[in-house]
Amino acid sequence: MSESNTMPSFKETEPVDFVIIGAGSAGGIMARELSGAGFNIVVLEQGPYRQQHEFSHDELSVAINNELLGGMNDVHGQTFRHYEHEEAQQPAVQPVRYARGVGGSSVHFTANFWRLRPSDFKERSLLGPIEGTNFADWPISYEELEPYYAKVEWEIGVSGAPGPFDAPRSKPFPMPPLPIKSSGVLMEKGAEKLGLHAQVEPLAILSRAHNGRPPCINCGYCMYYGCEVGAKSSTLAAMVPLAEATGRCEIRAESVVIRIETNDQGKADRVVYLDASGTERAQAARSVLLCANGAETSRLLFMSASSRHPDGLANSSGFVGRNLMHNAHSLGYGVFEHPLNDYKGPQVSRIIHDFYESDTARGFYGGGGIDARPLFSATPILHALNAMPPDVARWGSEWKDAISYNFTRQLALVASTTSLPLDRNNITLDPQSKDIWGRPAIRETYHDHPDDLAIAAFLQDVSMQVLDAAGAEKVWRMPVEASTGGEHLLGTCRMGDDPSTSVVDRYHRSHDVPNLFICDGSSMVTSGRGQPTMTIMALAFRAAEHIAAAARRGEV
Amino acid sequence: MNPDWSRRRFIGSGGTLSGAAWLKLTTPGLVAAAASACDAMESASAFVNLSEAQARELSAISARLIPTTSTPGAIEAGVIHFIDQSLAGEMAAERAAAFQGLSEFLSGLNPEQPNRLFSELDAADQDAYLKDREGTDFFEFMRLMTIYGFFAMSSHGGNRDHLSWTLIGFEGHGAWTPPFGHYDSETEV
Repeated sequence: MSESNTMPSFKETEPVDFVIIGAGSAGGIMARELSGAGFNIVVLEQGPYRQQHEFSHDELSVAINNELLGGMNDVHGQTFRHYEHEEAQQPAVQPVRYARGVGGSSVHFTANFWRLRPSDFKERSLLGPIEGTNFADWPISYEELEPYYAKVEWEIGVSGAPGPFDAPRSKPFPMPPLPIKSSGVLMEKGAEKLGLHAQVEPLAILSRAHNGRPPCINCGYCMYYGCEVGAKSSTLAAMVPLAEATGRCEIRAESVVIRIETNDQGKADRVVYLDASGTERAQAARSVLLCANGAETSRLLFMSASSRHPDGLANSSGFVGRNLMHNAHSLGYGVFEHPLNDYKGPQVSRIIHDFYESDTARGFYGGGGIDARPLFSATPILHALNAMPPDVARWGSEWKDAISYNFTRQLALVASTTSLPLDRNNITLDPQSKDIWGRPAIRETYHDHPDDLAIAAFLQDVSMQVLDAAGAEKVWRMPVEASTGGEHLLGTCRMGDDPSTSVVDRYHRSHDVPNLFICDGSSMVTSGRGQPTMTIMALAFRAAEHIAAAARRGEV
Repeated sequence: MNPDWSRRRFIGSGGTLSGAAWLKLTTPGLVAAAASACDAMESASAFVNLSEAQARELSAISARLIPTTSTPGAIEAGVIHFIDQSLAGEMAAERAAAFQGLSEFLSGLNPEQPNRLFSELDAADQDAYLKDREGTDFFEFMRLMTIYGFFAMSSHGGNRDHLSWTLIGFEGHGAWTPPFGHYDSETEV
């Protein structure tokens, strides 16, 4: 693909229609949609351009040494603190975790694809204000986004079947669910006894051939890994080849953006980056699309500060980097009498969404879903290091007996929940630490709102009941505690109608710079209940349509 | 989703000799050494980075961490060859710290008998001493390296004949068709 004859090579000094920064979930869709609409595109991606046959099952390389994340944190220098008054520390692994490379985190994700529901877009109106938070309605409704959810399902490729609580859909799933696993059967059994409803998990993984791509082979290497057959619906597999086939999309991998420049008219006109050799280059652009994820997008806007934009580009509101939301999580484990062999097949086959909606009777805000999966028991090293029962010795024959028995018999019930948007949870530039390219490192400040932890704990109690009802021999729970980082990078450039409390408008155009568009997890106003990529992709399809129309009208 | 405690726990549980560096077993160095590691496993001799004495002591430690019982353990999996090989290439910078850690581990054995070797103790004494050292950087380093060498792909030098995978019922890499396990097979029509 990268060596395709159709790959154009645009001149840096001649403005292309769009420079897209980031080739991930949103950027990959933007590249395809806008090149397909006839525009010339340069995509700048900081990670490498891996082809699918290059993905491996090497657990040491992928899961331990973080190959797809671009290595350990000594490369990236990220820092973390819970509160602003603390000095941020640099942990061994990046607190803010995302895959670097063409396809972005859609390459290594687990592919759980939940739509938001109508309530997600207007919870502030439905539930009232929550003191001390930036809880707000979205400027768009579920109904407005729904056609684009359907587009994701059909064009990106999502398998599944409707559940009892799902939001209305305009089209059926394009393909049936993947096979139910033992973890799914046990969840169904436990849920039924409790009067709950286990439903099919929608997955961005093909259950049959679709759009020229092959179906899943159930190898089990989804979470953290790239899919070597192209059945997992990354933008690398589903969108990038279509973008390149237009002959109007040039992907420049290993291009590390350091600044977006604006001209005297206040428009973005150049994107400055370091190429693979470290040489500084700049691409001229008529418009810039920033799709780098909620952390990188914020960093780049701060790094693009100038006399005209002293607090960072597009940041007159001061909302850039604020309201970071990870989704909270909780985790309960169970071991069963017979082997589940849950390492086979995609992670999740069944979920419980009975507690999706917030309920004032609980005494706190929040909702979420529970899924059944092997989690770390999909591979041996992660099981050995992360998933052993707490009452078992850490080494020796007792340890060996436990892992020999448990590995195939263990499952995890994982709850994913809401996060409230808070000023104090944010991305800023670290004042000291830098990455190996010399950029100020990402500094995360984050402590979950008490309600986020309360709903996570509430769902953990439900999970333990489900495990018991399913007949687990042994169960245990992991402590519910404040996050020290995350993969879901939401809310940091939220969309809104009011330029004083949002960064982009309802069509993802930045309020401050008329030809700068921002679309990725940062656009989300609320967190949903976990599994945000479906929504990020739907937003990207919708934004691309509006941006293309605006460009045709000469309004960028 | 990836619960945030996942990586924190396995890194946090490392208590490593020099932070992240111990975990940075980057692929190129290891792959380059993998072929010779396989050869070494076959010949059961030549170590690339370890002296025979170092290999004997490290191997004895790994043998208590994952012991040979009625089933194979670290010895049969060739964990020592993984350790030997992973101290090559980009791990070379950490090798001195590892040897220093081993040296201190051995010197703490019995001050009255400075030349005493861990490998000479009986299993119960070995376990007692290891328990005493649990939580130290060197112990945690050896625990991680033993787990990696036992379970990582054989191309990294250990996990001979995938015997660790067989032990835990992991069939490794493949394309699978349902039913996968007991409970989904029960519901199959």
